[in-house]
Amino acid sequence: MQAETQHESVRHGLIAMLPRLKRFADVLVGDKRQGRALLRRALKRMLADQHRYQQGTPLDRFAFAEIYRLWLSQLREHADPLRQTKPSGADFERLLRGNGAADVDAETTRFLGALPPQQRGTLLLVYGEGFGHEDAGLVLDTDPDTIQARLIRASTSLADRLGATPSPARAAVETHYPLEATEGP
Amino acid sequence: MTELSDELLVAYVDGQLARDQTRAVDKVLDQDDVVARRVEALKQAHSRFEFAFEAILAGEVSELMANAPSLPPPVRRRRGNGLAKIGMITAGLGLGLFALVAGYGWPLALPERATLPQAGEISSATRTWQDEAVRAQSLLSRDSVEVAAESQGNFDLVALQMAQAIGPAVKIPDLEAQGFKFVRGQLLRFGGEPIAQLLYLGGRTAPLALYARRGEHEARDGFAKGGAIGSVAWSDDGIAYLLAGEEDKATLLRLAEKIRHEPSAQPASTRKLSAN
Repeated sequence: MQAETQHESVRHGLIAMLPRLKRFADVLVGDKRQGRALLRRALKRMLADQHRYQQGTPLDRFAFAEIYRLWLSQLREHADPLRQTKPSGADFERLLRGNGAADVDAETTRFLGALPPQQRGTLLLVYGEGFGHEDAGLVLDTDPDTIQARLIRASTSLADRLGATPSPARAAVETHYPLEATEGP
Repeated sequence: MTELSDELLVAYVDGQLARDQTRAVDKVLDQDDVVARRVEALKQAHSRFEFAFEAILAGEVSELMANAPSLPPPVRRRRGNGLAKIGMITAGLGLGLFALVAGYGWPLALPERATLPQAGEISSATRTWQDEAVRAQSLLSRDSVEVAAESQGNFDLVALQMAQAIGPAVKIPDLEAQGFKFVRGQLLRFGGEPIAQLLYLGGRTAPLALYARRGEHEARDGFAKGGAIGSVAWSDDGIAYLLAGEEDKATLLRLAEKIRHEPSAQPASTRKLSAN
């Protein structure tokens, strides 16, 4: 009975989150059609294996992590994974301009479209979903420092592109947020 | 020119700095135009990210609803116990049906209504003022109006009433030093349980509201934004809090941090005596 209750609540929860899950899948893949396919597979897997969902874990964190894991495993199986992670500019633009969504400026659209999927996912989880760095790290299977480093890179990079003031000289003040040395771009 | 790293400035814009660090950066911004311009650019980048993701979500919702035209519009509700960030719960019936027809592969019967411990954001495009009014009405209880308006503006009386309704550990913060003047407090209800609502006014923005409800209902704390309203949710000493307003993220997080360090409406020593 308890298992059934959990089953129901997971299913209801996933249904209620559908637009958010779809956004995550679309943004990660960078393309609506592929994002939809990814989400469909992920939903089926989550429902089939929902015993893996632990009571008390935020359902959205669980669901986003499942989508990410599935995307990653599919990527690893692909013969040319690097090519697979690059959506075309037009594909990504459709995400931001279609379906009555408010228009997003071209610079931001291009910028987001050119980011690696993990960075886009990071930005979405933190700035779009309001996740803390730790939760975002749990979804994307990385540590909070990496999440922070991705945010710094993306924010400063877009700020520079927007033609704003160049970065002042660096670090006379200690921070808790060390730069990440290993990740691009 | 003061030298501040981008790491620090991004953390500042994201509201991730400790209070003393934030104050230190604030001081630099007052004195250094170059750093101030950099912060402005980072804020702009931050806003564009947020806007882009909101636009995508609005598109996803429109698409889902367009494919289920006879279904009710998305219903917004607050996360978890209703106190956390303004969240999105789409009408479960509608999306469930759409999921079936659209091939997401739901193998089960349709739910009557989606219930969810977590939620995110949704476009406000499909909501009407009537929807919002009904939702606001659902939070009102007799307690909301039976207390005289003068009493609702009396800080000490409000503290007493909230401590009785929510629990002695509830915090009734004085935010005057932060530029927010206490205006009034009232009791709302959610799921038959009382919710304290404390309203403050500061600057030119809409009122800042602190909500408190007994129990640590939140599965995930933190900052969230729905339209113009930002919110910070956390739990403390058996009470779930939500601070909501039109202030920017850094301000809300700073205020939340301040409230966290506030003493309870009834000090612990008094609580023990009362319990005995």
